[in-house]
Amino acid sequence: MDRRTFLTQASGCAASASLIAAGCHFEPITKDNTKTIEVAVFEGGFGIEWHKDMARQYEQLHPGVKVNLWGDPRVDEKIKPRVLRRNPPDLASCTLPVWKLITAGRLFPLDDALASPAYGAEGKTWKETLRAGVLADYVYDDKTYALPSNLGVWACWYSKKLFREHGWSAPSTWDELTALCEKMLAAGIAPLAFQGKYPQYAWSTILSCYQRLVPFEKWYDIEDFKKGAFLDPSFVKAADLMQELAVKYFQKGALAMTHTESQMEWANGRAGMVFCGLWLKKEMEKALPDDFEMGCFPVPMVTGGTGDPKAIYSGGGESFFVFKDGKHPEIAADFLKFLLSIEPARDYVKRNDSLTPVIDCQVGIKISSALQSAVDAIEGSTRMYSDRLNTLYIEWHRTLVQQAQADLLRGAITGQQFADRLEAGAEAVRSNPNIYKPPARGVPAL
Amino acid sequence: MSPKHLSRDTKRFLWIGILPSALLYGLFVIWPAINALMYSFTRWDGLSTPVWIGIDNFVNLFKSGSDFVTAIGHNIYLTVIPGSIILTLALFFAWMIHLKVAGSTLFRVTFFFPNVIASVAVALLWVLLYSTTEMGPINNIRQALHMEKVPFLESARLLQSIVPMMVWSATGFYLVLFLAAMENIPVDYYEAAHLDGASPTLQFIRITLPLMWDVLTTGIIFLIVGGLKFFDAVWVMENGRPSPATHTMSSLMYAKVFEEYNVGYGTAIAVLLFVLVLIITRISMRLLKRERLEY
Repeated sequence: MDRRTFLTQASGCAASASLIAAGCHFEPITKDNTKTIEVAVFEGGFGIEWHKDMARQYEQLHPGVKVNLWGDPRVDEKIKPRVLRRNPPDLASCTLPVWKLITAGRLFPLDDALASPAYGAEGKTWKETLRAGVLADYVYDDKTYALPSNLGVWACWYSKKLFREHGWSAPSTWDELTALCEKMLAAGIAPLAFQGKYPQYAWSTILSCYQRLVPFEKWYDIEDFKKGAFLDPSFVKAADLMQELAVKYFQKGALAMTHTESQMEWANGRAGMVFCGLWLKKEMEKALPDDFEMGCFPVPMVTGGTGDPKAIYSGGGESFFVFKDGKHPEIAADFLKFLLSIEPARDYVKRNDSLTPVIDCQVGIKISSALQSAVDAIEGSTRMYSDRLNTLYIEWHRTLVQQAQADLLRGAITGQQFADRLEAGAEAVRSNPNIYKPPARGVPAL
Repeated sequence: MSPKHLSRDTKRFLWIGILPSALLYGLFVIWPAINALMYSFTRWDGLSTPVWIGIDNFVNLFKSGSDFVTAIGHNIYLTVIPGSIILTLALFFAWMIHLKVAGSTLFRVTFFFPNVIASVAVALLWVLLYSTTEMGPINNIRQALHMEKVPFLESARLLQSIVPMMVWSATGFYLVLFLAAMENIPVDYYEAAHLDGASPTLQFIRITLPLMWDVLTTGIIFLIVGGLKFFDAVWVMENGRPSPATHTMSSLMYAKVFEEYNVGYGTAIAVLLFVLVLIITRISMRLLKRERLEY
C-alpha cells in the first residue's frame, strides 16, 4: 500500500469513526441555517394527515423551520428507547411513563408558550384559547408539561338506523340499558361489542358508572388515591354492574377481540352497541356503510345513585410532550401552539369529525350526527371529568388493574375481589416512597 | 499443534485476525453485560442517577405473587408442554420417514415448511386462525358444528393456545435434525438386528436412540433455551401489551425496561434469565450425558 492510498483510507476511517462517535446527535448543517424539528405522532384512529398538513403550513409561516413529522401506530415502542438514550424527537404524542419523565426533569415546560400570544386569536394568550381543565393533568411544581391534542368523550355508540328499525331508544338509566340489551338478544343481535384484548377499555365505563353512584367528593377520592377509596361499596357495585354487562351482554368471543375486530363487529351490525371514545368514527370510517348514522349516549344513570346524572366522562387525549433533550424544544413548543390554535383546530374538526381542546373550535362547522351527539352530550353536561391514574401510576395500571379487569369481565372474580385487588395494589403504591404521588386535588373547580 | 509450537509470526497473525472480532464482542456483548449486572443492583429509571440498592431487586423478583414468579411458571409451561410434544412428534415422524413410509419426501418438506416462516408471521397467522370474528376458520368450523366459539386469544387461555402453534412451527426443524442423525447410523446395525429378530420398535430403542443421543440432547437443549427465552408470539398475540396472565420472563423484562422505565428491576430479570438458562442448560446436559458411542 502506498502512502497516498494509506492516507486516503485512514482519513476515510477517521471520518467514519467521527460520524459514529457523533451518533444520533449528528444534525445536517444546511446552507440557510434551517432548523429541523422532529415530531413523532401516534397514528391511531385519527391518522396523521392533518398533522402533516399543519407541519407544511407551519413551515410556510416560519421559513427557517422544517418539520420532520412521522407517525406510527406503535410510536411508543420507537420513542421509549430513544428517550432512554437521551435522543428523543423534539415533540411526540405517545404513551410514556410521563411522570417519571416529568420528575426526572426530561420534559420541557410549556408555560412560556402558554403565556405567549396565541396564533389566530388577537389579544389572547394561548392558554386563554384552551378549554378549562385540559392542562390540569400534567402539572408539576406549578409547571405544565403536556397538552392533549384532542378532546374525547366516553360514550356508548349505536346505529340510529338500527335503533329506528327496531323501535329502540337510547337508554337514560342503567335498568333501561339492560332492558335494551335483552331486546337486542331477543332480536338476535349481540348487545355489546367489546375490545377484549385491551381490558382497559372497561376502565372508563366502570369509573363513569361509579360516578353515577356517588357525589364527586367521593369520586375524586379514587383519583386522589385515598386509603380505602376502592373499597367503597358503590365502587364494588360499579364493578358488579360492569361484570353483569360483560357476562350477559358482551358478544360471544369479545374478550379475544382487538379494538378493530370488535368495532368492526359493531359496524357490521352483528353487535348493537359499543363503549368507546370519540375517535371511533374516524377509526372505523372505512368500514362503516355510507348510510350509517352514528349516535351515542353517555353511561346511563344508575337507579338509586347519588351522582350527578348530567356529568360526562370527557377529557383530553393523545397528549403531546416536548422533550428537553430534543434539539429545539422552544420551536417544538411553538409548533404545538400552532397545532392547537383556532384555524388548525377547526380544520381538525372538519377532517377528523372530532373535537380539540381549543375553545369553540366546532362553532359554525357542519358536523356529522356522530359528532353532534357527542357535542350535545358535552353541552348538556354539568361537568366534564376524567381519570389520571393510568398515567400517574403506570405500573399499577398496566399490570394490576388490567389483569383485575380481565378477570372481572370473564367472571373469574367478584366485584368485591376486584376492589380488594385494586386497593391492595394502591396501598403498595402509597407505601412506596419511590413513586411520585401528586398532592390531593379534590373536586376541581368548574 | 499446541500454541507453544506456533511461530511468533503465526501468533501475531492470529492475534491480528482475532482482534477486530474480540473488540466488537467485548464492546457489544461483554461490556453491556457487565453494565447490566451492575444496573441490576440499582434502583434506576434510566433517566436519573442510579441508586445502589444491593440485592433488593432480586428479593422483589421472588416475592410471593410477583409477576416474575408467575412469568417463570409460564416459561416452564411453554418449555415442558410444547417441548415434550415436539420431541415426541419429531422423533416419531423422523423415524417414519427414516423407515421410508410412502410419501416420506413430501412429508419431510411439508413438516419443515412452517420452520421457514418468521416467528412473528407465524404468530399473526395463528391470530387469524383463532379469531372469534367471521375471519377465524377454527371458530367458524365450531359454529358450523353447533359448538360455542372459544376465545382462544383471551389472555386467560392464550398460553394454552400458543402450544399448538409452537408444535406446528417447530416440529419440522427437530424432525430434520433427528432424521439427519438417524440417516448417519450405518444400515449394517439394523440388518444385524433384523436378522436377530429385533422388531422395529426394539431397533429404535436399542440402536437409533443411543446412536443419536448427542443430537437428541442438542435438540432438548434448544427446546429448553427456546422455552426460557420465549418472547415473540406472546408479544404479537397480546398486541404488544402482555398481561400478568401471559408475561414470560423476556416480555416482562422488556415491559419493565422499555414500557415502565423500571430499568434496574428489568435488568435484574435479564441477569436472572441469563443465570437460569445457564444453570438449567448445564443441569440438563449433565442429566442427559451418556457415554459417547462411536460408529
